[in-house]
Amino acid sequence: MSDRIVIDPITRLEGHGKIDIILNDSGGVDRAYLQVPELRGFERFAQGRPAEDMPQITSRICGVCPTAHHMAGTKALDDLYKVDPPPAARKIRELVYNIFYVEDHALHFFYLAGPDFVVGPKAPKAERNILGVLGKVGQEIGLKVIGTRRQLRELMTMIMGKAIHPVFGLPGGISKPIAKEDQQKIIDAADVAVEFAQFSLKIFNDVVLSNPKYMEYITSDIYTHKTYYMGMVDQNNKVNFYDGPIRVVDPDGKELCKFPHGKYLDHVAEHVEPWSYMRFSYLKDIGWNGFNDGPGSGIFAVAPLARLNASDGMATPLAQEAYEQFYKACGGKPVHFTLANSWARLIEMLYSAERMKELAHDPEIVNPKVHNIPTEKPVEGVGIVEAPRGTLIHHYQTDEKGLITKANLIVATQNNSARIALSVDKAARGLIKNGQVDDGILNMVEMAFRAYDPCHGCATHALPGQMPLSVRVFDSQHNLLKDIRRR
Amino acid sequence: MKPLILCLGNDLLGDDGIGIRAAEKLQTMLDGQADVVATSMHGVALLDLLVGYKRVIIIDAIQMSGFPPGSVIELELGDLRTVQSPSPHYTGLPELILLAEQMQLDFPEEIKIFAVEIDDPYTVGREMSMAVSKSLQKLIPCVMAYIDWWQNGTYHA
Repeated sequence: MSDRIVIDPITRLEGHGKIDIILNDSGGVDRAYLQVPELRGFERFAQGRPAEDMPQITSRICGVCPTAHHMAGTKALDDLYKVDPPPAARKIRELVYNIFYVEDHALHFFYLAGPDFVVGPKAPKAERNILGVLGKVGQEIGLKVIGTRRQLRELMTMIMGKAIHPVFGLPGGISKPIAKEDQQKIIDAADVAVEFAQFSLKIFNDVVLSNPKYMEYITSDIYTHKTYYMGMVDQNNKVNFYDGPIRVVDPDGKELCKFPHGKYLDHVAEHVEPWSYMRFSYLKDIGWNGFNDGPGSGIFAVAPLARLNASDGMATPLAQEAYEQFYKACGGKPVHFTLANSWARLIEMLYSAERMKELAHDPEIVNPKVHNIPTEKPVEGVGIVEAPRGTLIHHYQTDEKGLITKANLIVATQNNSARIALSVDKAARGLIKNGQVDDGILNMVEMAFRAYDPCHGCATHALPGQMPLSVRVFDSQHNLLKDIRRR
Repeated sequence: MKPLILCLGNDLLGDDGIGIRAAEKLQTMLDGQADVVATSMHGVALLDLLVGYKRVIIIDAIQMSGFPPGSVIELELGDLRTVQSPSPHYTGLPELILLAEQMQLDFPEEIKIFAVEIDDPYTVGREMSMAVSKSLQKLIPCVMAYIDWWQNGTYHA
């Protein structure tokens, strides 16, 4: 007889999801699955709409990373109309994108990962939240987090426009230049962002790295997979979020391939499983070889750890220093520890803040020439950015009037989904013995995928507040044996 | 001081757009007695919107009350006031409220929540279901009655 445990929905995950854990006769884990609801109907909805609407539409669908969708959509329009933005528009886009990164990565650290690392994975559930984090690091830091986030949001509104769904990205540019008198505000905020990123890394150093127990979790085999890694790089193979070729390295860190955006279909394919709505991306170069890691399996990872692994370093000095420290402490490159994503995320946050600062000081960003009018007939366009959660691909085909005939999105979490499935299964197997499942163990299973910052975000809700996490145990006939509600 | 009516949801996702629909309707009916804000943001981003108001009505869609789609459920803050409860996004409203309290932010003293049970928030471009669309007939008078009570001390349910 096998028992079935369900964790539904997943705490502190963005979007809805649940984990099914099926126990075997001896109380160990037979198989663990992450299940997510599917967002349906997008392709049909997009058909017949003007391609120029796609950056708005796609950013409205996802309430979690709208800026990433807006930017991937805008870049797909550049490619569709074969028009490059003027230098100022390109820089302003990259500037906005890096501001978004600082804010998004900060939120993940303080709200999602912080409870696991700062408060502790086995702390009482009531303390594993942002309040528990502030209890440890102090209230002043809480005000700093809230204040910095707000300042960055206001800056984004200033640059992108105040409307609920801003029309910012256009094929060949952006909708408005930055006023000269606003440049100083951006410079000031960039200084705050750099200091904030350094200070977040310091918290991680002080609280996590100095605690041998946490380092034991991070480097533990149950949170380790030797897979391929994908990420965007610049001309020097340094991490870039906005533009550059996509580079893939093998489990030993050697380059497997590096391709321009339009060639993604030569390298990325999708595998379907009967138990999940989610499609699993894998590398065509290697092939699908089941849910296994190693060089013979086409499973790859995206997101912070993958980006660091797929690159030769960071393009800014402080982040580069943190990058070197990271690989030194983790025993060389590539790093295969899933939980190291939280550390990698903070290194990326420092890079975004430094890049924001570089661009803020660039005299070009106040050049009023921010749009090149497209003249080519549209046919097909691909736009790729690194979303905070990993490589995000937008691909549109249109008729000659620019109306969408086919739209394909491959979102970051889909690119990570096969490795996330590996992680959930391995963590459950490693942690659940003799049918013993308590709250701390379940949280440690959840940590296996929370590290990726997966986003199954779709509908937007602040409610319900009272929805408990339910753990249900079924026998092999699916009769309910136990119903534990974690309130 | 004017109260805030904060309407949450996504009008591209069928029934999830009920909050946005309610905002459009309230905007035309209220004649400036309250600020109406419609947003697809969530979690900690809501903090920016809530801070500074004394009284707030939140309208949102939910999908697990146990009532049929289109049901309007009135919730007190106390119903949500438990930090242990998980939220599908960064941080749920209960966590946000406790955070604001701990940070001693200028947070609303009174928050009233109207939740509408919905059917399918996972299909892009889906029409809003009839049952959920009809819920406006119950929802709008409830909200208007509260605003009237708060602003004028009169109550016409």
